[in-house]
Amino acid sequence: MTAATLFQWILASLPEITVITGACVLLILGQLVRKGQENLLVWGSVAIVLIAALTTLLLASEVRPAYSGMFVADRFAVFFKFVFYLATVLTFLLSRKYADIEGIGSSEYYVMLLFALSGMMIMASATDLLSIYVGLELMVLCTYVLTGFLKRERRSNEAALKYVILGAVSTGIFLYGVSLVYGLTGTTQLDAMAAVSGDPLDPGLLLAVVFIVAGLVFKIGAVPFHMWVPDVYEGAPTTVTAFMSVGPKAAGFAVILRVFLNPLVAASDVWIIVAVIAVVTAALGSFVALVQDNFKRLLAYSSIAHAGFATFGVVAGGADGVASVMLYLLIYAFMNLGIFGAVIMMRNGDFSGEVIEDYAGFAKSHPGLALLMLIYLFSLAGIPPTAGFFAKFYVLTALVERGFVVLAVIAVLLSAVAAYFYIRIVMVIYMREPERAFEPALTPFVRATLACTAAGTIGIGLFPEWFLRLAQHSAFGG
Amino acid sequence: MAFPLLSLIVFLPAAGAGVLMCLRSDDAVRWTALVFTVLDLALAVAMLAAFDTTTHEMQFTETHPWVPAIGITYALGVDGISALFVFLTALLGWISVLASWVAIDRKVKEFMVSLLFMQALMLGVFCALDLFLFYVCWEAMLIPMYLIIGVWGGDGRVYAAFKFFLYTLAGSLLFLIGVIVLYFHGGETFDILALTAQDLPFRVQSWLFFAFLIAFAVKVPMVPVHTWLPDAHVQAPTAGSIILAGVLLKMGAYGFLRFSLPMLPEASVYFSPLMLALSALAIVYGGLLALAQDDLKKLVAYSSISHMGFVTMGIFALNLRGLEGGILQMFNHGVTTGALFLFVGLIYERTHSRSIADYGGLMKVAPVYTAFLALFTLSSMALPGTNSFVGELLVLSGGFAANLTVGAAAVLGALLSAAYLLGMYRKVALGPAIVAARYKIWDVNAREMAAIVPLAVFVLWVGLYPKPFLNVIDASVKHLLTQVHDKEGGQ
Repeated sequence: MTAATLFQWILASLPEITVITGACVLLILGQLVRKGQENLLVWGSVAIVLIAALTTLLLASEVRPAYSGMFVADRFAVFFKFVFYLATVLTFLLSRKYADIEGIGSSEYYVMLLFALSGMMIMASATDLLSIYVGLELMVLCTYVLTGFLKRERRSNEAALKYVILGAVSTGIFLYGVSLVYGLTGTTQLDAMAAVSGDPLDPGLLLAVVFIVAGLVFKIGAVPFHMWVPDVYEGAPTTVTAFMSVGPKAAGFAVILRVFLNPLVAASDVWIIVAVIAVVTAALGSFVALVQDNFKRLLAYSSIAHAGFATFGVVAGGADGVASVMLYLLIYAFMNLGIFGAVIMMRNGDFSGEVIEDYAGFAKSHPGLALLMLIYLFSLAGIPPTAGFFAKFYVLTALVERGFVVLAVIAVLLSAVAAYFYIRIVMVIYMREPERAFEPALTPFVRATLACTAAGTIGIGLFPEWFLRLAQHSAFGG
Repeated sequence: MAFPLLSLIVFLPAAGAGVLMCLRSDDAVRWTALVFTVLDLALAVAMLAAFDTTTHEMQFTETHPWVPAIGITYALGVDGISALFVFLTALLGWISVLASWVAIDRKVKEFMVSLLFMQALMLGVFCALDLFLFYVCWEAMLIPMYLIIGVWGGDGRVYAAFKFFLYTLAGSLLFLIGVIVLYFHGGETFDILALTAQDLPFRVQSWLFFAFLIAFAVKVPMVPVHTWLPDAHVQAPTAGSIILAGVLLKMGAYGFLRFSLPMLPEASVYFSPLMLALSALAIVYGGLLALAQDDLKKLVAYSSISHMGFVTMGIFALNLRGLEGGILQMFNHGVTTGALFLFVGLIYERTHSRSIADYGGLMKVAPVYTAFLALFTLSSMALPGTNSFVGELLVLSGGFAANLTVGAAAVLGALLSAAYLLGMYRKVALGPAIVAARYKIWDVNAREMAAIVPLAVFVLWVGLYPKPFLNVIDASVKHLLTQVHDKEGGQ
């Protein structure tokens, strides 16, 4: 290996290196930050992500493979990395006040988020089952810790423990699948696998693919590996829930797209499994959310339903299918962080704001914030002219283009079911009499988050062209 | 570039809503809303004045790329059919504002903002020449309407709002799939005119026909998917009812005219007996249900189902008289039923009762009110000299030409409408003045007259001299018929 190649490799992974170095520096310097100066931590973490974003942007001009086929910095990865940056920065901004209230405002919290970010970035760039595994583990280990960050809260500890055990099992299954692939094809590199000429319907390979699917589907919380989602989402600090519902989920989809659309895997009729998973996931998420009273639990099931809907895009495959999943995840990041921002903002003093009934009559005293929540909720329900509609529309277009009209019909019917529980929240906000005075924790950071997410939710809805082109441009498989 | 008149018409109410958000006093909000809606009407009248009635081509067209990556354009334009409904929407817009002047006393600003957004989206639906734009406006309307019913409605408003929302949503989502299928069959474009020019295989047409039918039938509403309507109407505030009956129900029928007939001509002809049968069912069943109501608003709501049956019957008679009658009847129903809901709202503001049994002898205390009520009641039962007579006569002659049985059922429906409307009028207006003893009643004031008189003018104008209105739609309807029959005849 020459110095030049090493330089190229480092260049390709410079954003990851930036984030990891920054996280390490923050880990040390964070100890020096005194009480009352926690804003410094937020600014520092945001600065690290922004520097990484800048390097990503500067290096995005060409495709940079690195580390002997384990890693690639292509446009697909760049798109996902920006979704991660967005999710992470907004989580930082939301966390400041919330961390104070919950007493979790130590520097480790921010460092963990940064390490999780670097894991997700590696996942987006990974082109080898083993580097996928490395990124995956880096990310989930951090989210295990973050889930249990409310040390004195039983729910939080219980959630973390459940998450660790189930997560470890799913990782084991994934690794077992990887070992089978290696035994059958002699490689774990995605490109090399694609070049292997073998019977795609070989039972051994099918078994391996099923194991890999099971391991990956766990990460996006799709049925039948969704059991952890509601408990973990409910128990984790709300800011971490917001982060997990967007960032790690998008990272999971990045890997799923790379692996499932690999020619060898795609040839093994894996789409049938994925189609079933998509239908069952969207159905379970939508129907179970109908009966939830806890806002965070409801959003957990809603995120399962959305994962199902995005999986329809994976089923469609092809350039439009991939682009539709990518656009869906970007738009979902905006609207879901928006609604979570509203939930986080309600947490003030003794008021938890975790039960839907807590929001009764919110529109009366805070019409502006209520309008924002209305926008996020209608967007999640997929009603135009919000971005949520365009996201669903594009997935449906990709499905119909590939001839999956029946799946498209199922998808829209399930999204009609899902619309019910979103507009039920709108009903509580707008059509009930208030029972208490509201004191949302509206710090400038939270305001900035809400403004950014609202701009994304409305802006992409009205002018989707630029984002659509970006997704189409970044998708592979065309 | 030509003057973007249609964009101005569509976006003026939305701009008004934006202005309203910055205002503080309720009175300023009311007046500003009124100013914007009246200006919008003035623009719509200007549009009609400049409208060329000799051609079926789209006029005042505007095209701008919106999402060129997948062939979505921002395209507006009107032909005779849509021009009429742009005018109707603008006409009912300011009447709705007047109707909510005192009836809405809390969150006035939010209400007017919803109302104006609603109007912008309705106008967008009628002007859209791009299927995606059409769908966005069509579906986005659910948001303000959900709020109008759910926040400012009666006691059962939450249930009614949910029912309205979910019914319409479920219907339109299948329409969305239909739109996407059409997009791929029609050469990856959402341009309505280009899609109309396509010749689709019959099998595809049939599937699409049913996908569209579900969406449009829910909106019209046709029996058996009508059950959201009485709830929504009864619970909605007066302005909400006026918009629902006046414009929203027309959108379903407009969908048939703009999409089902010209894009799916063979399927439309093939399934027209089914549609005629459903229409006849709606006419008779709606009439029977109206006969049994003791709630004023419910009675008018069920009569709407019956009257919209005439509209769909005229459309699917698929002949010139039927179509022209159906379209004219859409306009008439907007005016007349809008007025009837206004009247129910006016009396409800005074008594807070909608029960027919609570009224009687209204003529003695409110002579002007009852006089106008008589006019609109007679118009609703299609007395000669009023607007509905012209429309219903055309529909009946078209309907008889298409199918004798269906025509006969429609006549039965017309008889029923006389029974329930006259019965209603007798119980409310005539007899001993029991109502005055119980409530403090006063006759209509100047503001209310301002809302009533224009509607009364159109009742008589269309009734006595319908030619200008038929002229507007004539060229477009003839063209529509050639589209249906040429393609069908070519088989």
